Amino acid sequence: MSKKKMSTKAKIQLTVFLVIYTTVGLLNAKLMTAPPSEALKNISNRWIVQFGPANAWYYRINPMTVIMSFVVIMVILAFARSVHKEFSLIPNRKQAFAESLMDFLYEIVESSVPNEKYARTVFKISMTLFIYIAVSNLIGGFIPGISADVSIAENGARTVKFVLFSDTWFSPTGDLNTNLTYAVMVFIISQYFAIKTKGVKGWLKGFLEPVAFMLPMNIVGELAKPFSHAMRLFGNITGGGILVLVISYLVKYMFLPPFLWAFFGIFSGLIQAFVFSTLAIAYMSSQIEG
Amino acid sequence: MEQLTPEVISELAKAIAVAGKAIGAGLAMGIGAIGPGVGEGNVGAHAMDAIARQPELTNVITTRMILADAIAETTGIYSLVIAFLILFAL
Repeated sequence: MSKKKMSTKAKIQLTVFLVIYTTVGLLNAKLMTAPPSEALKNISNRWIVQFGPANAWYYRINPMTVIMSFVVIMVILAFARSVHKEFSLIPNRKQAFAESLMDFLYEIVESSVPNEKYARTVFKISMTLFIYIAVSNLIGGFIPGISADVSIAENGARTVKFVLFSDTWFSPTGDLNTNLTYAVMVFIISQYFAIKTKGVKGWLKGFLEPVAFMLPMNIVGELAKPFSHAMRLFGNITGGGILVLVISYLVKYMFLPPFLWAFFGIFSGLIQAFVFSTLAIAYMSSQIEG
Repeated sequence: MEQLTPEVISELAKAIAVAGKAIGAGLAMGIGAIGPGVGEGNVGAHAMDAIARQPELTNVITTRMILADAIAETTGIYSLVIAFLILFAL
């Protein structure tokens, strides 16, 4: 192993960063005097905009989720365009990264779906899910930014206040609606594959296996898949976010948050994205025969 | 001793509700973490055994191990969600 010596410029930058970091931390310790239970009581409230009739659940929008979804889509599109612009036979760094990522997941798909025709479709779906969830977990995991602080009055009125740099960006996967949408999508696609490969009769007969008595068990087992699929991602991301926020407040944003962000954002976020897409592959491949 | 006026009684009721929430959430998370802990420990131990026996399969085994970990974790995540519900939504 060769040890590189740090250049003078890097040393100066690091020193400036550390000085600013420590100063802000000391200022925070002096200024943030509210007890944690007071400061963190709005942790679970969401910004909700209601259209049309009051209390109608189908006219509600979660603006933070919508905005951040579009941000994530834009980030992915920008990366894809920058890769596409310099597309060549001898790949540069970006292209090599994208290709190796695709190759890695395609091998997993190939080993569980032997049929080439379905393997390509399954790969496209699971790769899309992986990229989207990974980027949104990374954005929500370790990049500090603007977040909405919502307080609910006694009569149910919500007041929204935007705060800068006290929390990370809101992650679209931290909202159960997003995860449930993707899980139900995977569920419907897998049932479609089952009908396509086995025929309607074979698909219905699959619910009566091994004996007809097991019908309710099989139905519950199928319906539990999208539920646990969505809950796993939601619980991991939301739980990690709340944990990081609470500990960050307790230490007044000094020293600890970067490590926590690294663990919950990069490590846990990427693992969960990988698990989500792998489970999608497993659910779809279990319904495809031959 | 303070008189048990209606205000005092309502204050007491609120305090008891908060105490119940705290105890409930703590129990839900604490007991719910036992199962995933044991399960993930088993998965990890056997993955280590398998890697020690066949080091050339490390990549495959690691992938499968992470997947199995995530599935063993599910019940723990359920109890985390229930704890959130108790604390924030009840």
